[in-house]
Amino acid sequence: MKVAELLERRRRNWHELERLCQEMQTRRKRDMGAATVSKFAALYRAACADLALADAYQLPPNTVQYLHRLVGRAHNQLFRSRTFDIGEWGRVLLVDVPQRVFNDRCVQLAFCLFWGIFILSAILAYSQALWPEYAEHVLSTDGITELEENFRNPIEGRNPEENFFMAAFYIQHNTGIGLTCFATGLLVIPGLLTTIFNAGLLGAAFGYMARPEVYDGGAGKHFFQFVTAHGPFELTAIVLSAGSGLRLGMSWISTGGFTREGSLRKTAEYALPIMGSAMVMFFLAALIEGFLSPTGAPDLLKQGVAVMSSGLLMFYFVILGFPWRPISAAR
Amino acid sequence: MDPTYSSRFPVSERPGYMCLRSGATWRIIVLRQQINDPAKGWTPNFMSSEEYQIDATVEVVTPENIAFQYQVAGPFRRLPAYLIDFAIRAAIFGALVFVVTMIASLSAFAGVSMGVALMATIFLAWFVLQWFYGGLFETYMNGQTPGKWVMGIRVLSVSGQPINGLQAVMRNLLRLVDFMPPMALPLFGDAFGEPLEEPIRLMLIPTLMIGLVTMTMNRRFQRLGDIVCSTMVVIEEKSWLMGVARLDDPRAAQLSEYLPVNYQISRSLARTLATYVERRRFFSLPRRREIARHLGEPLLREFGLPADTSHDLLLCALYYRAFIADRATDDQWNAPSSPFGTHPAPASEPFPNFTAPPLPQEQMSGMRLEDIEIKTGGARW
Repeated sequence: MKVAELLERRRRNWHELERLCQEMQTRRKRDMGAATVSKFAALYRAACADLALADAYQLPPNTVQYLHRLVGRAHNQLFRSRTFDIGEWGRVLLVDVPQRVFNDRCVQLAFCLFWGIFILSAILAYSQALWPEYAEHVLSTDGITELEENFRNPIEGRNPEENFFMAAFYIQHNTGIGLTCFATGLLVIPGLLTTIFNAGLLGAAFGYMARPEVYDGGAGKHFFQFVTAHGPFELTAIVLSAGSGLRLGMSWISTGGFTREGSLRKTAEYALPIMGSAMVMFFLAALIEGFLSPTGAPDLLKQGVAVMSSGLLMFYFVILGFPWRPISAAR
Repeated sequence: MDPTYSSRFPVSERPGYMCLRSGATWRIIVLRQQINDPAKGWTPNFMSSEEYQIDATVEVVTPENIAFQYQVAGPFRRLPAYLIDFAIRAAIFGALVFVVTMIASLSAFAGVSMGVALMATIFLAWFVLQWFYGGLFETYMNGQTPGKWVMGIRVLSVSGQPINGLQAVMRNLLRLVDFMPPMALPLFGDAFGEPLEEPIRLMLIPTLMIGLVTMTMNRRFQRLGDIVCSTMVVIEEKSWLMGVARLDDPRAAQLSEYLPVNYQISRSLARTLATYVERRRFFSLPRRREIARHLGEPLLREFGLPADTSHDLLLCALYYRAFIADRATDDQWNAPSSPFGTHPAPASEPFPNFTAPPLPQEQMSGMRLEDIEIKTGGARW
């Protein structure tokens, strides 16, 4: 049979497949009916077979190209993107990630770097003897005024909307810091700089607010009332993001014998779930920050939540993460 | 040989005309034949090895064990897609701000102050749009954002499978890195009268350099975020089924009768013929002659036809033979005693009453539309 005849015979099938592709793209799958879906699948298989035999049929090149495109489109409609699989994610987050974090040098480095600089900066900002203008240098005079302004009024007496606004602002601000740390970690040096810079900034804010005159002046007190509850989750999440970003960045520098691209891809499978757990923590922190921190709940409750969440994190990283069984050879 | 032969198929209508422009087009056509069939002829040096060639297609093997090709999308499709998405984001945000302002002012009339809470929603909306717009759309729209849908591109795993939620979100988070480093333009310095005091406000423009450089360094145009998440962006477009080229000159069919009956047209020659004949209507007459000469001359010698036969016509005749002439006539030709003169001239309708048996594959899976509808008609979803 000659090509012209073959094309004439196939034309209807291919056009029908094209029409169904269009339909699959725009309509809800459930409304289409079993008949249509199985017809689509059958036509797709037929087009696949035509493509496979294109060489044997001696189809002209433009028809082959047409078939490649058609099969590609149909393939994308048949095999669709998977959303988040809860069960699979539960296993990854509760079993794999803690063990990886527990052993990961990059997360440890990010942890030391972040908390070291945070504490150093807090001490420098707190003490007026060591470096008197440190807080002003880091936070800038305007920044300090604004920060104090934000926390001047006690939280319980305030307009609840104002509190909610504040919570929203800090959620987007701090989560944004974490995500930036992760993304820039891929380039190592920008990642380290972002982490150091933000650790210094946050530490200075904490240290300044802890100064006796600021604390007793009200602003510091309200600041700590606000941040206590969600602090553990949020700061840990920032450390985790920075660590997993750094792990990704290191993978294309020290490749362990792989090509740079291959090493990056291999490490991504390992590091991206860590970032996933950091996002879960950001989400938990945001919940606390939105619903507990800006309310006038008693301090004891907030501190209790902070202790509990710290305990939870310890359990997560140390108990779940401890290599009870010898882990596999892969890092 | 037929005495009327030379008058029917002359070399060309305007002999002696020489086309001086470069022969880039034929080079593509002729070389393609040789590359596909290296045993047959000279392979030029500059394309001697696969690794020196760059090609924007990737091959995907489906679960049906069929290999098909995707065209990978480069920056000139992806950047417009991003800009469209950016505009959509800005529009959503602008609309939200407008609605919120309306509600706030209305509620202020009513004596309820809601302004701050509404501001908070604006902040959250900004946050989600900034970081998760692309990720969420790609997760739930099967690898596409509205901008990608407009530009006809889609994100897939490098294996050709659809992406999952984690890949979608992460590749969008990492775009931040691909847009680095930002370039600082001190735009608002002295331009508007007095210089700004305080730290001069810089306009930071992302230069996209990291993403662009990474894209040039791999075969799939992956930016850094794509490499990390093992994804790629492919073009997914409609293309039109051309079918077989129409030969407007009936002499092509006639000439095909003069070709040796037992000549087997190889696959690579068939491909070359198709490429030439499908495009020849875009060429001028001298250009056609120039292109066809390179294949026509040796073929005429091989067939023992007069050297003044039109090369273009010869290629058309071969095309006719390869793609259009039906099996019924083949059989007649293959019959040893069939005289050339009594052979019926192929008309514009090459197979008027001929119905070939269904192909094996059609018998196997019942690929006729009517059958499919009958078979599955009763089932419910």
